[in-house]
Amino acid sequence: MVNSLLVLGFVPEKPCPRLCMNVPRLLQFASLLRAVRAPGWRPWILGHMHFSLHRAPLLQAAGKKNSLSLLALTEAELEEQFVRGHGPGGQATNKTSNCVVLKHVPSGIVVKCHQTRSVEKNRKIAREILQEKVDLFYKGEESDVFKEKKALEKKKQEKKRRAKEHLERKKLFKEMQQLDTK
Amino acid sequence: MRCLTHTLFRRLSCLSPQCMPWRWSQILSPKELSLRQSCSARPGVMTATDVVNYWQKVFETNGIPEARESSEYIVSFVLGAKTFQSLSSKSLCTPLTVAQQEQIQQLSNKRLERMPVQYILGEWDFQDLTLKMRPPVFIPRPETEDLISLVVEEESLMYKKNSGLCFPVSAPHPVILEIGCGSGAIALSLLCKLPQSRVIAMDKEEAAVDLTRENAHRLQLQERIHVLHQDVSYSSAKQLLLWGPVDFIVSNPPYVFHEDMASLDAEILRYEDLDALDGGDDGMRVIETILVLAPSLLKDSGSVFLEVDPRHPNMVKDWLQAHPNLLLVLRAVHKDFCGKPRFLHIQKQSR
Repeated sequence: MVNSLLVLGFVPEKPCPRLCMNVPRLLQFASLLRAVRAPGWRPWILGHMHFSLHRAPLLQAAGKKNSLSLLALTEAELEEQFVRGHGPGGQATNKTSNCVVLKHVPSGIVVKCHQTRSVEKNRKIAREILQEKVDLFYKGEESDVFKEKKALEKKKQEKKRRAKEHLERKKLFKEMQQLDTK
Repeated sequence: MRCLTHTLFRRLSCLSPQCMPWRWSQILSPKELSLRQSCSARPGVMTATDVVNYWQKVFETNGIPEARESSEYIVSFVLGAKTFQSLSSKSLCTPLTVAQQEQIQQLSNKRLERMPVQYILGEWDFQDLTLKMRPPVFIPRPETEDLISLVVEEESLMYKKNSGLCFPVSAPHPVILEIGCGSGAIALSLLCKLPQSRVIAMDKEEAAVDLTRENAHRLQLQERIHVLHQDVSYSSAKQLLLWGPVDFIVSNPPYVFHEDMASLDAEILRYEDLDALDGGDDGMRVIETILVLAPSLLKDSGSVFLEVDPRHPNMVKDWLQAHPNLLLVLRAVHKDFCGKPRFLHIQKQSR
Protein backbone atom coordinates (compact mmCIF):
# COMPACT_ATOMS: atom_id res chain seq x y z
CA MET A 1 0.00 0.00 0.00
CA VAL A 2 1.19 3.47 -0.77
CA ASN A 3 0.57 4.45 2.87
CA SER A 4 3.46 2.29 3.85
CA LEU A 5 6.18 4.38 2.37
CA LEU A 6 7.41 7.63 3.66
CA VAL A 7 9.81 9.63 1.56
CA LEU A 8 11.67 11.85 3.94
CA GLY A 9 12.96 14.22 1.32
CA PHE A 10 16.40 14.24 -0.14
CA VAL A 11 19.63 16.11 0.20
CA PRO A 12 22.01 15.36 -2.66
CA GLU A 13 25.35 14.51 -1.18
CA LYS A 14 28.64 12.90 -2.05
CA PRO A 15 28.70 9.14 -1.80
CA CYS A 16 29.32 8.29 1.85
CA PRO A 17 31.58 5.55 3.17
CA ARG A 18 29.58 2.39 3.28
CA LEU A 19 27.99 1.41 6.53
CA CYS A 20 29.95 -1.20 8.47
CA MET A 21 32.75 -1.32 5.89
CA ASN A 22 35.54 -1.27 8.43
CA VAL A 23 38.54 -2.57 6.52
CA PRO A 24 40.59 -3.97 9.41
CA ARG A 25 37.54 -5.90 10.63
CA LEU A 26 36.91 -7.09 7.13
CA LEU A 27 40.45 -8.47 6.84
CA GLN A 28 40.07 -10.19 10.18
CA PHE A 29 37.15 -12.18 8.89
CA ALA A 30 38.42 -12.52 5.35
CA SER A 31 39.87 -15.93 6.07
CA LEU A 32 36.51 -17.17 7.20
CA LEU A 33 34.58 -15.90 4.24
CA ARG A 34 33.86 -17.78 1.15
CA ALA A 35 33.16 -15.87 -2.04
CA VAL A 36 29.50 -15.13 -2.27
CA ARG A 37 27.94 -15.34 -5.65
CA ALA A 38 24.37 -14.15 -5.64
CA PRO A 39 21.98 -16.30 -7.64
CA GLY A 40 20.73 -14.21 -10.53
CA TRP A 41 17.36 -13.18 -9.24
CA ARG A 42 18.12 -12.64 -5.59
CA PRO A 43 19.00 -9.01 -5.01
CA TRP A 44 20.65 -9.30 -1.61
CA ILE A 45 21.84 -11.80 0.94
CA LEU A 46 21.08 -10.95 4.51
CA GLY A 47 24.08 -10.27 6.63
CA HIS A 48 26.52 -10.47 3.77
CA MET A 49 26.09 -6.84 2.93
CA HIS A 50 28.30 -6.03 5.85
CA PHE A 51 31.17 -8.04 4.44
CA SER A 52 31.00 -8.07 0.69
CA LEU A 53 33.08 -5.71 -1.36
CA HIS A 54 31.38 -5.89 -4.71
CA ARG A 55 27.85 -7.13 -4.77
CA ALA A 56 26.04 -7.99 -7.94
CA PRO A 57 23.69 -5.10 -8.58
CA LEU A 58 20.07 -5.59 -7.80
CA LEU A 59 18.15 -6.89 -10.73
CA GLN A 60 14.69 -5.71 -11.51
CA ALA A 61 12.14 -6.05 -8.81
CA ALA A 62 10.21 -9.28 -9.03
CA GLY A 63 6.53 -9.63 -9.52
CA LYS A 64 4.39 -7.52 -11.73
CA LYS A 65 7.12 -4.97 -12.23
CA ASN A 66 9.27 -7.40 -14.20
CA SER A 67 8.58 -5.50 -17.40
CA LEU A 68 10.04 -2.29 -16.01
CA SER A 69 13.65 -1.55 -16.62
CA LEU A 70 14.92 0.22 -13.51
CA LEU A 71 18.28 1.50 -12.42
CA ALA A 72 20.07 -1.11 -10.37
CA LEU A 73 20.92 -0.38 -6.77
CA THR A 74 24.03 -1.81 -5.16
CA GLU A 75 24.09 -2.68 -1.50
CA ALA A 76 27.15 -0.46 -1.17
CA GLU A 77 25.01 2.59 -1.84
CA LEU A 78 22.43 1.73 0.76
CA GLU A 79 22.21 2.46 4.45
CA GLU A 80 19.77 0.46 6.45
CA GLN A 81 18.37 1.03 9.89
CA PHE A 82 16.17 -1.12 12.05
CA VAL A 83 14.22 -0.27 15.12
CA ARG A 84 15.81 -3.12 17.02
CA GLY A 85 17.54 -1.12 19.69
CA HIS A 86 21.05 -1.44 21.07
CA GLY A 87 20.29 -4.46 23.21
CA PRO A 88 21.90 -7.85 22.79
CA GLY A 89 19.40 -8.88 20.13
CA GLY A 90 18.80 -12.47 19.15
CA GLN A 91 17.20 -14.69 21.79
CA ALA A 92 17.76 -12.17 24.54
CA THR A 93 15.28 -9.74 22.99
CA ASN A 94 11.69 -10.15 21.94
CA LYS A 95 10.73 -7.01 20.12
CA THR A 96 8.00 -6.76 17.53
CA SER A 97 9.06 -3.57 15.76
CA ASN A 98 10.02 -4.78 12.31
CA CYS A 99 10.22 -1.41 10.65
CA VAL A 100 12.98 -1.00 8.09
CA VAL A 101 14.39 2.39 7.14
CA LEU A 102 16.40 2.28 3.95
CA LYS A 103 18.41 5.15 2.51
CA HIS A 104 19.96 5.48 -0.93
CA VAL A 105 23.06 7.46 -0.03
CA PRO A 106 23.96 9.10 -3.38
CA SER A 107 20.50 10.59 -3.87
CA GLY A 108 19.50 10.89 -0.21
CA ILE A 109 16.15 9.23 -0.80
CA VAL A 110 14.80 7.40 2.25
CA VAL A 111 12.07 4.80 2.37
CA LYS A 112 10.39 3.40 5.44
CA CYS A 113 8.59 0.07 5.35
CA HIS A 114 6.48 -1.65 7.94
CA GLN A 115 4.10 -3.47 5.67
CA THR A 116 4.58 -6.97 7.07
CA ARG A 117 5.43 -8.70 10.35
CA SER A 118 8.59 -10.16 8.85
CA VAL A 119 11.80 -8.14 8.86
CA GLU A 120 13.14 -9.97 5.84
CA LYS A 121 10.02 -9.21 3.80
CA ASN A 122 10.07 -5.58 4.86
CA ARG A 123 13.68 -5.32 3.71
CA LYS A 124 12.78 -6.78 0.35
CA ILE A 125 9.78 -4.50 -0.12
CA ALA A 126 11.78 -1.46 1.00
CA ARG A 127 14.38 -2.21 -1.68
CA GLU A 128 11.73 -2.55 -4.36
CA ILE A 129 10.12 0.72 -3.42
CA LEU A 130 13.45 2.48 -3.12
CA GLN A 131 14.55 1.22 -6.51
CA GLU A 132 11.47 2.77 -8.09
CA LYS A 133 11.94 6.06 -6.29
CA VAL A 134 15.61 6.27 -7.26
CA ASP A 135 14.79 5.47 -10.86
CA LEU A 136 12.18 8.21 -10.87
CA PHE A 137 14.63 10.61 -9.29
CA TYR A 138 17.37 10.14 -11.87
CA LYS A 139 15.31 9.55 -14.97
CA GLY A 140 12.32 11.77 -14.33
CA GLU A 141 9.84 11.45 -17.16
CA GLU A 142 12.05 8.92 -18.92
CA SER A 143 11.57 6.52 -16.02
CA ASP A 144 9.43 3.46 -16.65
CA VAL A 145 7.83 4.11 -13.28
CA PHE A 146 6.66 7.51 -14.49
CA LYS A 147 5.52 6.12 -17.81
CA GLU A 148 3.55 3.31 -16.24
CA LYS A 149 1.89 5.70 -13.81
CA LYS A 150 0.92 7.98 -16.69
CA ALA A 151 -0.43 5.03 -18.67
CA LEU A 152 -2.55 3.93 -15.74
CA GLU A 153 -3.89 7.43 -15.27
CA LYS A 154 -4.75 7.64 -18.94
CA LYS A 155 -6.59 4.32 -18.78
CA LYS A 156 -8.55 5.55 -15.78
CA GLN A 157 -9.52 8.77 -17.55
CA GLU A 158 -10.56 6.81 -20.64
CA LYS A 159 -12.74 4.54 -18.53
CA LYS A 160 -14.36 7.53 -16.85
CA ARG A 161 -15.00 9.23 -20.14
CA ARG A 162 -16.58 6.14 -21.67
CA ALA A 163 -18.74 5.57 -18.59
CA LYS A 164 -19.94 9.16 -18.76
CA GLU A 165 -20.74 8.85 -22.45
CA HIS A 166 -22.62 5.65 -21.81
CA LEU A 167 -24.73 7.30 -19.12
CA GLU A 168 -25.55 10.24 -21.38
CA ARG A 169 -26.65 7.94 -24.19
CA LYS A 170 -28.83 5.99 -21.79
CA LYS A 171 -30.40 9.22 -20.54
CA LEU A 172 -31.07 10.42 -24.05
CA PHE A 173 -32.61 7.09 -24.99
CA LYS A 174 -34.92 7.17 -21.98
CA GLU A 175 -36.04 10.70 -22.78
CA MET A 176 -36.82 9.70 -26.35
CA GLN A 177 -38.81 6.71 -25.12
CA GLN A 178 -40.90 8.95 -22.89
CA LEU A 179 -41.60 11.28 -25.81
CA ASP A 180 -42.75 8.33 -27.91
CA THR A 181 -45.20 7.08 -25.32
CA LYS A 182 -46.95 10.46 -25.04
CA MET B 1 10.72 -26.54 31.22
CA ARG B 2 11.02 -23.57 33.45
CA CYS B 3 8.80 -20.53 33.75
CA LEU B 4 8.91 -17.93 36.45
CA THR B 5 5.75 -17.80 38.53
CA HIS B 6 4.15 -14.44 39.03
CA THR B 7 5.22 -14.11 42.67
CA LEU B 8 8.78 -15.19 42.00
CA PHE B 9 9.07 -12.77 39.13
CA ARG B 10 7.73 -9.86 41.13
CA ARG B 11 10.28 -10.47 43.87
CA LEU B 12 13.05 -10.58 41.33
CA SER B 13 12.04 -7.60 39.28
CA CYS B 14 10.67 -5.34 42.01
CA LEU B 15 8.18 -3.83 39.67
CA SER B 16 5.63 -1.53 41.15
CA PRO B 17 2.11 -2.98 41.41
CA GLN B 18 0.96 -0.38 38.92
CA CYS B 19 2.88 -2.14 36.18
CA MET B 20 1.30 -5.52 36.76
CA PRO B 21 -2.44 -5.29 37.21
CA TRP B 22 -4.12 -8.60 37.88
CA ARG B 23 -7.75 -7.90 37.16
CA TRP B 24 -8.90 -5.81 34.26
CA SER B 25 -11.36 -3.95 36.44
CA GLN B 26 -8.34 -2.38 38.11
CA ILE B 27 -7.09 -1.19 34.74
CA LEU B 28 -9.73 1.45 34.13
CA SER B 29 -8.30 3.98 36.52
CA PRO B 30 -9.73 7.50 36.46
CA LYS B 31 -6.74 8.56 34.36
CA GLU B 32 -7.51 5.97 31.73
CA LEU B 33 -11.22 6.71 31.69
CA SER B 34 -10.54 10.34 30.92
CA LEU B 35 -8.15 9.31 28.19
CA ARG B 36 -10.82 7.13 26.67
CA GLN B 37 -13.23 10.05 26.64
CA SER B 38 -10.82 12.59 25.22
CA CYS B 39 -9.61 10.43 22.35
CA SER B 40 -12.78 10.21 20.39
CA ALA B 41 -14.11 12.95 18.14
CA ARG B 42 -17.67 11.94 18.86
CA PRO B 43 -18.68 10.43 22.18
CA GLY B 44 -19.02 6.66 22.05
CA VAL B 45 -17.66 6.43 18.51
CA MET B 46 -14.11 5.24 18.06
CA THR B 47 -12.19 4.60 14.88
CA ALA B 48 -9.19 2.30 14.58
CA THR B 49 -6.84 5.26 14.89
CA ASP B 50 -8.62 6.48 18.02
CA VAL B 51 -8.33 3.08 19.63
CA VAL B 52 -4.67 2.67 18.74
CA ASN B 53 -3.90 6.06 20.25
CA TYR B 54 -5.94 5.28 23.33
CA TRP B 55 -4.24 1.98 24.09
CA GLN B 56 -0.83 3.38 23.26
CA LYS B 57 -1.30 5.93 26.03
CA VAL B 58 -2.56 3.26 28.42
CA PHE B 59 0.45 1.07 27.71
CA GLU B 60 2.82 4.00 28.12
CA THR B 61 1.23 4.96 31.42
CA ASN B 62 1.77 1.41 32.62
CA GLY B 63 5.36 1.16 31.45
CA ILE B 64 4.65 -1.40 28.77
CA PRO B 65 7.46 -1.48 26.19
CA GLU B 66 6.63 -0.95 22.49
CA ALA B 67 3.39 0.78 23.41
CA ARG B 68 2.67 1.99 19.89
CA GLU B 69 3.62 -1.23 18.11
CA SER B 70 1.64 -3.40 20.54
CA SER B 71 -1.43 -1.25 20.16
CA GLU B 72 -1.18 -1.27 16.37
CA TYR B 73 -0.71 -5.02 16.09
CA ILE B 74 -3.65 -5.75 18.37
CA VAL B 75 -6.05 -3.39 16.60
CA SER B 76 -4.91 -4.55 13.14
CA PHE B 77 -5.39 -8.16 14.16
CA VAL B 78 -8.95 -7.53 15.31
CA LEU B 79 -9.63 -5.80 11.98
CA GLY B 80 -8.24 -8.78 10.08
CA ALA B 81 -4.95 -7.23 8.99
CA LYS B 82 -1.38 -8.08 9.89
CA THR B 83 0.01 -4.57 10.23
CA PHE B 84 -1.42 -1.12 10.78
CA GLN B 85 0.31 0.11 7.64
CA SER B 86 -1.53 -2.40 5.54
CA LEU B 87 -4.97 -1.20 6.63
CA SER B 88 -6.75 0.90 4.04
CA SER B 89 -7.37 4.55 4.89
CA LYS B 90 -11.06 3.71 4.75
CA SER B 91 -10.88 1.12 7.50
CA LEU B 92 -8.83 3.53 9.61
CA CYS B 93 -11.76 5.96 9.71
CA THR B 94 -14.58 3.43 10.04
CA PRO B 95 -16.09 3.27 13.52
CA LEU B 96 -15.33 0.03 15.32
CA THR B 97 -18.15 -2.22 16.38
CA VAL B 98 -18.77 -2.93 20.04
CA ALA B 99 -17.61 -6.51 19.55
CA GLN B 100 -14.36 -5.32 18.01
CA GLN B 101 -13.73 -2.87 20.83
CA GLU B 102 -14.36 -5.59 23.39
CA GLN B 103 -11.98 -7.94 21.67
CA ILE B 104 -9.32 -5.23 21.59
CA GLN B 105 -9.91 -4.61 25.28
CA GLN B 106 -9.44 -8.31 26.08
CA LEU B 107 -6.24 -8.58 24.10
CA SER B 108 -4.86 -5.33 25.46
CA ASN B 109 -5.43 -6.48 29.02
CA LYS B 110 -3.09 -9.35 28.32
CA ARG B 111 -0.51 -6.88 27.05
CA LEU B 112 -0.84 -4.99 30.30
CA GLU B 113 0.34 -8.18 31.97
CA ARG B 114 3.44 -8.08 29.73
CA MET B 115 2.33 -10.99 27.59
CA PRO B 116 4.29 -10.89 24.33
CA VAL B 117 2.21 -9.71 21.37
CA GLN B 118 2.89 -12.96 19.53
CA TYR B 119 1.23 -14.97 22.31
CA ILE B 120 -1.65 -12.49 22.58
CA LEU B 121 -2.45 -12.85 18.89
CA GLY B 122 -1.71 -16.55 18.95
CA GLU B 123 0.21 -16.22 15.72
CA TRP B 124 3.24 -14.56 14.16
CA ASP B 125 4.99 -14.38 10.83
CA PHE B 126 8.33 -15.85 9.99
CA GLN B 127 9.49 -15.06 6.47
CA ASP B 128 6.54 -16.01 4.25
CA LEU B 129 4.83 -18.21 6.82
CA THR B 130 2.22 -17.43 9.43
CA LEU B 131 2.71 -19.74 12.39
CA LYS B 132 0.65 -20.43 15.46
CA MET B 133 2.25 -19.24 18.68
CA ARG B 134 1.49 -20.54 22.15
CA PRO B 135 3.21 -20.02 25.50
CA PRO B 136 5.67 -21.21 26.61
CA VAL B 137 7.01 -22.32 23.23
CA PHE B 138 9.86 -20.03 22.15
CA ILE B 139 8.86 -17.22 19.81
CA PRO B 140 11.00 -17.02 16.64
CA ARG B 141 13.19 -13.91 16.53
CA PRO B 142 13.58 -11.83 13.34
CA GLU B 143 17.35 -12.47 13.22
CA THR B 144 16.68 -16.15 12.69
CA GLU B 145 15.07 -15.44 9.31
CA ASP B 146 18.59 -14.94 7.95
CA LEU B 147 19.59 -18.43 9.05
CA ILE B 148 17.19 -19.85 6.48
CA SER B 149 18.80 -17.90 3.64
CA LEU B 150 22.23 -19.20 4.62
CA VAL B 151 21.14 -22.83 4.52
CA VAL B 152 19.32 -22.38 1.22
CA GLU B 153 22.35 -20.74 -0.33
CA GLU B 154 24.70 -23.50 0.83
CA GLU B 155 22.30 -26.13 -0.46
CA SER B 156 22.31 -24.58 -3.92
CA LEU B 157 26.11 -24.41 -3.93
CA MET B 158 26.33 -28.06 -2.88
CA TYR B 159 23.85 -29.07 -5.55
CA LYS B 160 25.82 -27.27 -8.26
CA LYS B 161 28.99 -28.98 -7.09
CA ASN B 162 27.47 -32.43 -7.09
CA SER B 163 25.50 -32.19 -10.28
CA GLY B 164 28.44 -31.22 -12.47
CA LEU B 165 28.34 -28.69 -15.26
CA CYS B 166 27.24 -30.58 -18.33
CA PHE B 167 23.96 -32.23 -17.69
CA PRO B 168 21.14 -31.94 -15.20
CA VAL B 169 20.90 -34.56 -12.51
CA SER B 170 17.65 -35.36 -10.71
CA ALA B 171 17.20 -33.02 -7.81
CA PRO B 172 18.72 -34.31 -4.61
CA HIS B 173 16.61 -34.73 -1.52
CA PRO B 174 18.53 -32.94 1.18
CA VAL B 175 17.86 -34.24 4.65
CA ILE B 176 17.97 -31.63 7.37
CA LEU B 177 18.03 -32.20 11.10
CA GLU B 178 16.79 -29.35 13.27
CA ILE B 179 17.67 -29.43 16.94
CA GLY B 180 15.33 -27.46 19.18
CA CYS B 181 12.52 -26.78 16.73
CA GLY B 182 10.26 -24.72 19.02
CA SER B 183 7.27 -23.58 16.96
CA GLY B 184 8.71 -25.13 13.79
CA ALA B 185 9.72 -21.83 12.20
CA ILE B 186 13.12 -22.95 10.89
CA ALA B 187 12.06 -26.47 9.88
CA LEU B 188 8.95 -25.36 8.02
CA SER B 189 10.63 -22.42 6.31
CA LEU B 190 13.33 -24.72 5.00
CA LEU B 191 10.75 -27.17 3.73
CA CYS B 192 9.09 -24.35 1.81
CA LYS B 193 12.29 -22.93 0.37
CA LEU B 194 13.77 -26.34 -0.50
CA PRO B 195 10.85 -28.22 -2.07
CA GLN B 196 12.83 -31.47 -2.36
CA SER B 197 14.01 -31.51 1.22
CA ARG B 198 12.89 -33.51 4.21
CA VAL B 199 13.31 -32.52 7.83
CA ILE B 200 13.73 -34.31 11.12
CA ALA B 201 12.84 -31.82 13.83
CA MET B 202 13.34 -32.44 17.51
CA ASP B 203 12.64 -30.68 20.78
CA LYS B 204 12.90 -31.77 24.37
CA GLU B 205 9.62 -30.10 25.25
CA GLU B 206 6.36 -31.79 24.38
CA ALA B 207 4.60 -28.43 23.95
CA ALA B 208 7.10 -27.52 21.23
CA VAL B 209 6.75 -30.88 19.52
CA ASP B 210 2.96 -30.46 19.50
CA LEU B 211 3.13 -26.91 18.16
CA THR B 212 5.57 -27.84 15.39
CA ARG B 213 3.29 -30.69 14.34
CA GLU B 214 0.29 -28.36 14.42
CA ASN B 215 2.04 -25.75 12.29
CA ALA B 216 3.23 -28.44 9.88
CA HIS B 217 -0.35 -29.61 9.42
CA ARG B 218 -1.64 -26.08 8.91
CA LEU B 219 0.91 -25.64 6.12
CA GLN B 220 0.29 -29.10 4.71
CA LEU B 221 3.92 -30.06 5.21
CA GLN B 222 3.35 -32.98 7.57
CA GLU B 223 4.40 -35.54 4.95
CA ARG B 224 7.91 -34.13 4.75
CA ILE B 225 8.69 -33.55 8.41
CA HIS B 226 9.19 -35.97 11.23
CA VAL B 227 8.98 -34.39 14.69
CA LEU B 228 10.73 -36.15 17.56
CA HIS B 229 10.23 -35.59 21.26
CA GLN B 230 13.87 -35.96 22.16
CA ASP B 231 16.48 -34.17 24.27
CA VAL B 232 19.73 -33.78 22.33
CA SER B 233 21.69 -33.94 25.58
CA TYR B 234 20.50 -37.48 26.11
CA SER B 235 20.36 -38.68 22.53
CA SER B 236 22.58 -41.04 20.66
CA ALA B 237 23.25 -40.57 16.97
CA LYS B 238 21.41 -43.82 16.28
CA GLN B 239 18.15 -42.41 17.67
CA LEU B 240 18.30 -39.46 15.30
CA LEU B 241 19.41 -41.12 12.07
CA LEU B 242 15.97 -42.05 10.80
CA TRP B 243 16.94 -41.62 7.15
CA GLY B 244 20.70 -42.08 7.40
CA PRO B 245 23.34 -39.36 7.67
CA VAL B 246 22.03 -35.85 7.12
CA ASP B 247 23.13 -33.08 4.79
CA PHE B 248 22.56 -30.27 7.27
CA ILE B 249 22.15 -29.78 10.98
CA VAL B 250 20.43 -26.50 11.77
CA SER B 251 19.83 -25.07 15.20
CA ASN B 252 18.97 -21.99 17.17
CA PRO B 253 20.04 -23.59 20.46
CA PRO B 254 19.68 -21.92 23.85
CA TYR B 255 22.70 -19.61 23.85
CA VAL B 256 22.04 -16.95 26.46
CA PHE B 257 24.77 -16.79 29.09
CA HIS B 258 23.27 -17.93 32.37
CA GLU B 259 24.37 -14.75 34.14
CA ASP B 260 22.38 -12.70 31.59
CA MET B 261 19.13 -14.56 32.11
CA ALA B 262 17.94 -12.44 35.03
CA SER B 263 18.17 -9.22 33.03
CA LEU B 264 15.87 -10.40 30.26
CA ASP B 265 12.62 -8.53 29.70
CA ALA B 266 9.49 -9.48 31.63
CA GLU B 267 7.88 -10.64 28.37
CA ILE B 268 10.50 -13.34 28.09
CA LEU B 269 10.95 -14.30 31.73
CA ARG B 270 7.27 -14.61 32.51
CA TYR B 271 5.99 -16.38 29.45
CA GLU B 272 8.69 -18.17 27.43
CA ASP B 273 10.33 -21.48 28.26
CA LEU B 274 13.60 -20.43 29.90
CA ASP B 275 15.22 -23.74 28.94
CA ALA B 276 14.95 -22.58 25.34
CA LEU B 277 17.20 -19.67 26.22
CA ASP B 278 19.63 -20.65 28.97
CA GLY B 279 22.85 -21.98 27.49
CA GLY B 280 24.67 -22.46 30.76
CA ASP B 281 27.54 -20.45 32.21
CA ASP B 282 29.13 -19.45 28.91
CA GLY B 283 26.08 -20.09 26.77
CA MET B 284 27.94 -22.96 25.12
CA ARG B 285 26.37 -26.00 26.73
CA VAL B 286 23.95 -27.02 23.99
CA ILE B 287 26.23 -25.74 21.21
CA GLU B 288 28.94 -28.11 22.38
CA THR B 289 26.48 -30.98 22.69
CA ILE B 290 25.42 -30.49 19.09
CA LEU B 291 29.00 -30.23 17.80
CA VAL B 292 30.06 -33.40 19.64
CA LEU B 293 27.19 -35.31 18.05
CA ALA B 294 27.52 -33.70 14.61
CA PRO B 295 30.26 -35.87 13.03
CA SER B 296 28.24 -39.04 13.61
CA LEU B 297 25.11 -37.44 12.16
CA LEU B 298 26.50 -35.67 9.11
CA LYS B 299 27.47 -36.87 5.67
CA ASP B 300 31.00 -35.97 4.59
CA SER B 301 31.11 -32.27 3.73
CA GLY B 302 27.78 -31.86 5.52
CA SER B 303 27.27 -28.59 7.38
CA VAL B 304 26.10 -27.35 10.73
CA PHE B 305 24.42 -23.96 10.83
CA LEU B 306 24.02 -22.40 14.25
CA GLU B 307 22.60 -19.17 15.58
CA VAL B 308 24.70 -17.97 18.51
CA ASP B 309 25.48 -15.07 20.82
CA PRO B 310 27.86 -12.47 19.28
CA ARG B 311 30.56 -13.58 21.75
CA HIS B 312 30.48 -17.18 20.60
CA PRO B 313 32.30 -17.21 17.22
CA ASN B 314 35.76 -16.96 18.77
CA MET B 315 34.80 -19.30 21.59
CA VAL B 316 33.58 -21.91 19.13
CA LYS B 317 36.70 -21.48 16.98
CA ASP B 318 38.88 -22.17 20.02
CA TRP B 319 36.72 -25.07 21.11
CA LEU B 320 36.90 -26.72 17.68
CA GLN B 321 40.67 -26.34 17.66
CA ALA B 322 40.76 -28.04 21.05
CA HIS B 323 38.70 -30.92 19.63
CA PRO B 324 40.45 -31.76 16.35
CA ASN B 325 39.21 -35.35 16.42
CA LEU B 326 35.75 -34.10 15.50
CA LEU B 327 37.06 -33.07 12.07
CA LEU B 328 34.82 -30.01 12.12
CA VAL B 329 36.03 -26.73 10.69
CA LEU B 330 34.54 -23.26 11.13
CA ARG B 331 33.91 -22.16 7.54
CA ALA B 332 32.26 -18.79 8.06
CA VAL B 333 30.79 -16.35 10.52
CA HIS B 334 27.83 -14.36 9.23
CA LYS B 335 26.38 -11.19 10.69
CA ASP B 336 22.73 -10.55 11.37
CA PHE B 337 20.84 -7.54 10.02
CA CYS B 338 22.05 -5.47 12.95
CA GLY B 339 25.66 -6.16 12.11
CA LYS B 340 26.30 -8.55 15.00
CA PRO B 341 28.17 -11.84 14.42
CA ARG B 342 25.26 -14.25 14.70
CA PHE B 343 25.56 -17.35 12.52
CA LEU B 344 28.20 -20.02 12.32
CA HIS B 345 28.77 -22.29 9.35
CA ILE B 346 30.71 -25.36 10.43
CA GLN B 347 31.57 -28.11 8.02
CA LYS B 348 32.54 -31.73 8.44
CA GLN B 349 35.77 -32.48 6.69
CA SER B 350 35.98 -35.60 4.57
CA ARG B 351 38.46 -38.08 5.95
